[in-house]
Amino acid sequence: MNLAGPVVVLAAPLAVAGVLQILRRWTLLSVWLSALTAIAMGVMLTLLPLEGAWSFRGVTIELGRSLVVMGRVLTIEATDIFVLRYIFFTAGALFLLAWRLLPHSNFFPVGLAAAALFSGAFMVEQVVYAALLVVMGALLMVFPLHESGGAARGGLRYLVYTTLALPGLMVTQLLLDLFTIFPNDQGLLATATVLLGVSFAILFGAVPFQSWLSAVATDGAPPVVTYLFTVNAGTVWFLLLAYFRSYPWLSEQAALGSLFTGLGLLMMVTGGVLAAAQQRLGRLVGYATLVDNGAMLLALGTGRIEGLALTALLLLARPFSLGLMTLGLQGLRRLTGGVDAHEALEGAGLRMPWSAMAFLVGGVALAGFPLSLGFTARWGLYRVLALTSLSNALLALASTAAVMLGVVSSMRVLLVQTSSQRLTTEAAAPSDVREDRVVVVLIVALLLVTLALGFFPNVASGFATEMAHWYTFFK
Amino acid sequence: MTPFALWLDRISGVTTTTAVWGLFLAGAVIYLVAEWRLRVLALFGQYFFIGVLFTRVFVDRPEMSLLKVLVGWLICGALFLSARIRQSASEHPRFHWAADLPFRALSLVMMTVVAYLASQRYTLPLVPQDLALGCIMLVVLALLFIGTEEDSGVVGVGVLNLLAALDVFYSAQDPGLVVTGLLIMVNLLVGLAISYLTVVEVEA
Repeated sequence: MNLAGPVVVLAAPLAVAGVLQILRRWTLLSVWLSALTAIAMGVMLTLLPLEGAWSFRGVTIELGRSLVVMGRVLTIEATDIFVLRYIFFTAGALFLLAWRLLPHSNFFPVGLAAAALFSGAFMVEQVVYAALLVVMGALLMVFPLHESGGAARGGLRYLVYTTLALPGLMVTQLLLDLFTIFPNDQGLLATATVLLGVSFAILFGAVPFQSWLSAVATDGAPPVVTYLFTVNAGTVWFLLLAYFRSYPWLSEQAALGSLFTGLGLLMMVTGGVLAAAQQRLGRLVGYATLVDNGAMLLALGTGRIEGLALTALLLLARPFSLGLMTLGLQGLRRLTGGVDAHEALEGAGLRMPWSAMAFLVGGVALAGFPLSLGFTARWGLYRVLALTSLSNALLALASTAAVMLGVVSSMRVLLVQTSSQRLTTEAAAPSDVREDRVVVVLIVALLLVTLALGFFPNVASGFATEMAHWYTFFK
Repeated sequence: MTPFALWLDRISGVTTTTAVWGLFLAGAVIYLVAEWRLRVLALFGQYFFIGVLFTRVFVDRPEMSLLKVLVGWLICGALFLSARIRQSASEHPRFHWAADLPFRALSLVMMTVVAYLASQRYTLPLVPQDLALGCIMLVVLALLFIGTEEDSGVVGVGVLNLLAALDVFYSAQDPGLVVTGLLIMVNLLVGLAISYLTVVEVEA
């Protein structure tokens, strides 16, 4: 049997997702099957050569061979490999993290199916299909978002904003196709640029469309929120790059660089101010992610290949920091029966020390402070920014410091408890809530990896630089 | 003529302008009346009129219009089921207007005028003017539902209206099967997600 690469990448996760939907009752099986499938896809994409074939017991896989579905061509190109690996490895790791946090959950089959759809988006040639597949994957993720309780507001906002972005993405392709026929009609290009800008601003949660980020982070189950902020967000980033690659004249638009820079700074400042003032841990995660998204947009706005590498590095750093925050937040919420407000969590760090530490270290890493991979990326960003505008670099640094202020404020709440509050907490909190040993092991493992990457960022930065060189629209 | 072909022939006999005003009336019922059964019924009717718009787009393939209508009705069924689950046992069905009726009526009238003027002033590429009015009307209704409502069912109808407008507009440019199929999938996913969120909202 001879299989084209896209068939394996699309069909295997979808088929396993179907099986997992039936086996959802057995959490351990769901977790390991979904994680192993995702990681196996990532390993396959890392080890198999793009050109040539690989055979095993009569089954031959040709990774680089195209697949034609109803006249539409699906191909794995060298540029796509990095994205696909990011999607599958991150999804696999998140499935493992969610092991003890989401029992009998829909997250495992749905997350795997969404990962397959996101991969399909990068293998299909026309960006309009990519946009549709990305939106379908994003819509699927609404289902596990509220499984562990919480208001449906976050899921609804996410659904609305994701769908609002779709018309712009689809119509942009029409306009750009028209522009290839009528290259003198600059109005088409201008309209396409505006539509594309608005659509991606919605998907990134840029100001003034940021409300879905905080709503999702407040109401959603932490592992699913992390999936949305890493796998989904990463897919959206690479979709933007796919548009630039498909329509190179779009990236040459002079206004686009200033738009990205302005929007990125606005996101960082707004997110920083809001993060510093937060009294709920979930919202802090949402606004810290807004600042991180702003930093990525700012890096892209430099219009340089270094900026692109920094964007990729920030994206690579995010699963580690958000993964830690997820584990911590879920543990702390368990203690208070789902509430993550400061007043309910006073002194919670003394009862759940590992969860508190995970949340705080993850927060420090997401804010871009040492010792974390995020710090390396942010420091690089400030240096690149300072070459053109010192004030922009200082503003970005100040926004990062504001997020750190929010994390420090949470740290004070989690670790300090007055005697009267102690009495109230002891009366209210169930006495049998203890930290799960498996979760503690996962926290320790993730802490070690985060610190290791903070000390030796060259491993990750090498991947980021390699990825950036595949995109030739920036010099 | 087979009954199916006869039915399709009758549908395409309804003029686009009539269908557009039908869309408006159905949208007005969803926006102004708070009784969920009437809202689902209005959405059911709205999908019929959307189907009429599609008969203008898929002139040679009327079965595609029928498919769009059937998908819409399927979504109506899912929304109906969730609304029933959401309804408390003690709640008795009775007609009542939405709480802030004057505000809603005024916004609806204003937005309809905006939609009409926009369709007169701006031309959508490759879309006839009456069909463009239908697209703009659907977008305006979508914005109204999404922007001023908090109920997940009505916000969801807004999202579905937006998708219907995109579907009509995009199919006029590229009536290919793959895009049509993927848009149907997106519609179904949105419908299911809205139904799910409606039920979750109650449990929360």
